[in-house]
Amino acid sequence: MTKIEEVKAKVEAGKSKLVPGLVQEALDAGNSAQDILDAMVDSMGVVGEKFSKGDIFVPEMLIAAKAMSKGVDVLKPHLAGDGSSKLGTCVIGTVAGDLHDIGKNLVSLMIESAGFDMVDLGVDVPADTFVQAIKDNKNVKLVACSGLLTSTMPAMREAVATIKASGLTGFKVIVGGAPVTPEYAEEIGADGFAPDAGTAAVKAKELATA
Amino acid sequence: MLTKRQNLAEVMKGGNPDRFVKQYEAFSMIMNTPITRIKPQIGGEIVNEWGITIRWPEGQLGAFPVHDAEHIVIKDITKWRDYVKAPSVECSEEAWAPAIAAAKAVDRKDQYVTVFVAPGIFEMTHYLMSMEEALMAYYEEPEAMHELIDYIVEFELKLAKEFIDHLHPDAVFHHDDWGSQISSFISPDMFKEFFEPAYKKIYGYYKDNGVELIIHHSDSYAANLVPSMIEMGIDIWQGVMTTNHVPELIEQYGGKITFMGDIDSGVIDFPGWTRENIAEKVETACRRCGKLYFIPGASQGLNVSSFPGVYEATDEEIDRMTKEIF
Ligand code: B12
Repeated sequence: MTKIEEVKAKVEAGKSKLVPGLVQEALDAGNSAQDILDAMVDSMGVVGEKFSKGDIFVPEMLIAAKAMSKGVDVLKPHLAGDGSSKLGTCVIGTVAGDLHDIGKNLVSLMIESAGFDMVDLGVDVPADTFVQAIKDNKNVKLVACSGLLTSTMPAMREAVATIKASGLTGFKVIVGGAPVTPEYAEEIGADGFAPDAGTAAVKAKELATA
Repeated sequence: MLTKRQNLAEVMKGGNPDRFVKQYEAFSMIMNTPITRIKPQIGGEIVNEWGITIRWPEGQLGAFPVHDAEHIVIKDITKWRDYVKAPSVECSEEAWAPAIAAAKAVDRKDQYVTVFVAPGIFEMTHYLMSMEEALMAYYEEPEAMHELIDYIVEFELKLAKEFIDHLHPDAVFHHDDWGSQISSFISPDMFKEFFEPAYKKIYGYYKDNGVELIIHHSDSYAANLVPSMIEMGIDIWQGVMTTNHVPELIEQYGGKITFMGDIDSGVIDFPGWTRENIAEKVETACRRCGKLYFIPGASQGLNVSSFPGVYEATDEEIDRMTKEIF
């Protein structure tokens, strides 16, 4: 197994104590930081897919994301450019009236590991705050809204409507959360929907590069 | 006509019920025990008996544990003993009097005197340390998690003893949400390792002490955990959501466990709810799940609804299905 393959395997297995050392070894062996990063992004893709299929569960996904983030810490000084991500910035938050954040956090981790810079607005986020964040941050390519309560679905509708009516452009809006269906996402004018965090990362990439 | 209790017993043993069980009708829930979970008022914040800060912000549907660095109870799982202190379960006889009176007033031929326990063990771990930290710790610090769970079990056994000594309950209704709508939080293997033995102890203790019925609430997907539920001694899984494919579960496990739900609260219980919608969801559930090993009901974890009228309308629609199917 090459060093890069080892990094990949250990990220997938969520070995956050081993990954930083292996990343360093992979660098020492002459691999470029970008190649190592791409390899880790690939392994998170595999993790996301397994999660979507129900082969793995939330803990496995969390430890894999943690392992990757430890690896990225080692890579950061070696990455070219201003360190900003290839795919741009993603603003994410749970809509107003809703405090659930586990799903949102997982989606955030997965979108980040697919190659976005994340701006996490937290929970109970009013529609205007999403708009302000799009203005305040550079290169926003994606806005992600999460909602877990049936009773906050109107707040999600309002968030999407407010963002779309703001006149700001250059980004897509993706929505999700247990009560959200693809039909509802379309109805409220979102550009995309995903049923789980693995698929969310795939969809995010698709939307930002379309 | 069978009493509510007899009718439920017939459903569970695959006998001859004479009607659908209407949601929680067979359980007389004793909620006024002196040891019960405390919750903040709307707009308020409390520190509960375990030291967990719980806030209910204005404009929100419910309360939430606060997990920022300042408020989180377990700051380092390997040192959990420094942070976690179980509350005492000792209360004066005087404090027990209202609950004892409530239990006495129940006609036990008609209903099960039912005690209520929440949060469950899994929930307690994430209340104490946040869901993400808890879920990672099952991998990263399994020994500490086993110890913490044992400690919570010890507390629950003391609580069970108090309930049994004072109220001689016929049933326990125990909360612990084990999943999201589409998956269990943890894998069946991990669940078997950490939670099966813990609940086997607790539910076994209730059963050994005259409690007939164990009802467990998890309004989520958890079809993959049913074998563990049976092993733990759960008689009724309440809260089973439609995503579990309830008819298939009944087919596969009926006789070993009874399923209560197949009507998702989220799809019937919202502002602007309608009777037609409830009628449709109740009918679908009753027709596809049938008379045995099944109790139709909303997935919500108590005999209430979030929006006024929904619970009662659901009961009435179940009556209608009884007329059509029985
Ligand atoms: C854990 C939980 C809690 C925890 C939350 C802890 C936290 N930090 O978030 C606690 C106990 C605090 C809690 C509180 C409450 N809860 Co709650 N909770 C749940 C539970 C059991 C699981 C939710 C969860 O975390 N799932 C795990 C994650 C991984 O899954 P997920 O959130 O669905 O996210 C995935 C996908 O949906 C998707 N996704 C999510 N967001 C996004 C965003 C985008 C852009 C995309 C693409 C995808 C995506 O990807 C995620 C990962 O795969 C659900 C039950 C259920 N069946 O869902 C109830 C549930 C959501 N809660 C509910 C309720 C009612 C409440 C309370 C009001 C309870 C109360 N009466 O006090 C309060 C809410 C307070 C508030 N204002 O928000 C109800 C909502 C009913 C409804 N449909 O309206 C549910 C459905 C339970 C039920 N059946 O009654 N809850």
